Amino acid sequence: MNDINSIAVGFDGSDESELALRWAAHLAREVDANLTVLHAAGILERLGAPFSHEVTPQVVAAIMAEEGLDATRYHWVVEEGDACSALLHCAQAPHHAQLLVVGSRGHGKRPGMMIGSVSLELVQHASVPVVVVPGC
Amino acid sequence: MVLVVNELTDDSEHESPDHPERPGRVEAAMAAVQELHLGSDLIVAPAYSATRSELTRVHDAGYLDELGAFCYGGGGDIDQDTYATFDSWSIATRAAGAGLSVVRELQRRGEGVGFVASRPPGHHALRDRAMGFCLLNNVAVSAAALVSQGERVAIIDWDVHHGNGTQQIFWDEPHVLYVSMHQWPLFPGSGAAGEVGGRLALGSVVNVPLPAGATGDVMRRALDDVVAPVVDAFDPTWVLVSAGFDAHHLDPMADLCLSDGDFAQMSLAVSHYATAPGRLAFFLEGGYDLGALQASVRATLSSALGAPHDGEPPTNGGPGGAQLATITAQRDAALASWTQIFDEEDSR
Ligand SMILES: [Zn+2]
Repeated sequence: MNDINSIAVGFDGSDESELALRWAAHLAREVDANLTVLHAAGILERLGAPFSHEVTPQVVAAIMAEEGLDATRYHWVVEEGDACSALLHCAQAPHHAQLLVVGSRGHGKRPGMMIGSVSLELVQHASVPVVVVPGC
Repeated sequence: MVLVVNELTDDSEHESPDHPERPGRVEAAMAAVQELHLGSDLIVAPAYSATRSELTRVHDAGYLDELGAFCYGGGGDIDQDTYATFDSWSIATRAAGAGLSVVRELQRRGEGVGFVASRPPGHHALRDRAMGFCLLNNVAVSAAALVSQGERVAIIDWDVHHGNGTQQIFWDEPHVLYVSMHQWPLFPGSGAAGEVGGRLALGSVVNVPLPAGATGDVMRRALDDVVAPVVDAFDPTWVLVSAGFDAHHLDPMADLCLSDGDFAQMSLAVSHYATAPGRLAFFLEGGYDLGALQASVRATLSSALGAPHDGEPPTNGGPGGAQLATITAQRDAALASWTQIFDEEDSR
């Protein structure tokens, strides 16, 4: 198996996605990989709270600093669209992520249902391995 | 000229706290219809729920099963934008059926203009996924029904967002021309000018991405100079409009600067695309400022019915005109390959 040198993680500002972000940052540091921190911006994003969490480069930078991942090893990407499609794009050029990381619940609330679960949709469609980080 | 609208049914249970895609939207649209004072020229097509076989023309059976089960399990958030409730399945199948019913009534009469005021909207709904407030792709369900009857359908989508679902569903369908004019970049991210349709239907998708701040003059030029020649070449037997009104300057969802007077002019332009009476229908998509929505629906319908518009004047002077030349070049390239496909089919 090839070394993993590029990882992508979805981050929407939720507690679940923060766990995934920390897990991915830790792994990136351990295996010396680059990390793409992806935020999928939905339609409601521009209306702000209560529809979206505060997701800014500063929030991400603070978490990365806590996890000890150097600023040169990660980059922050905002893509318009849904989280599943946006993460799938990360496995293609220019990011070529070899591993996709998401939180387990995302926005869905129904265990076992594809609908409402970014992680299940991702697992079904991804061409690269997917890590689903369990929530708290 | 008569206006055919769908019979209103209760959609009050498809809602989520503070969500902009709310029941008041259809009320605003229908208030605009009432303002037209059409009397006996207002025809109401009966309420109808799209059947499974009508839905599977455009949606995967597995997705329909999951969506139904999700709703009847109590619903919840499908993604960061999109919700469903216990009642959403029946409300969404009625929304898709409303289009079928209006189209059927237009066919029966052979005259008039259709307006489908139903929600949730449809144009972001993919073959196998809900997205962007949309559960079932209403306009696609009607277009596919018409295609199954041998019709050639042009879908003109002037919602401020790209209709990624409709584009995906008809990507390789040569009997549907899908045209979208939208702010770009913006949710859902797709809709670049280079997206012109799949290998089996090259040129059957036309995207006109416009920068933030674009005004009605650019929209009108796009309709006249970029879209009209493609529609002419396609020669549709039906024209369905994905009529979102979130490109209005008061709408909170985006940054285009259209007035209701612009919608009147755009409506006039697309009315000319329909080659025979009774073959034009507007489907409500987005539009989240209720006042702007009401004024824009009124402008659109009065213009399509041949009445003068008395609201805001059309707008001019925004950016985006320069991009139209590039889009036209891409359209010409697509048309060339498209013509080639038809020539090859003819020679067979
Ligand atoms: Zn829209």
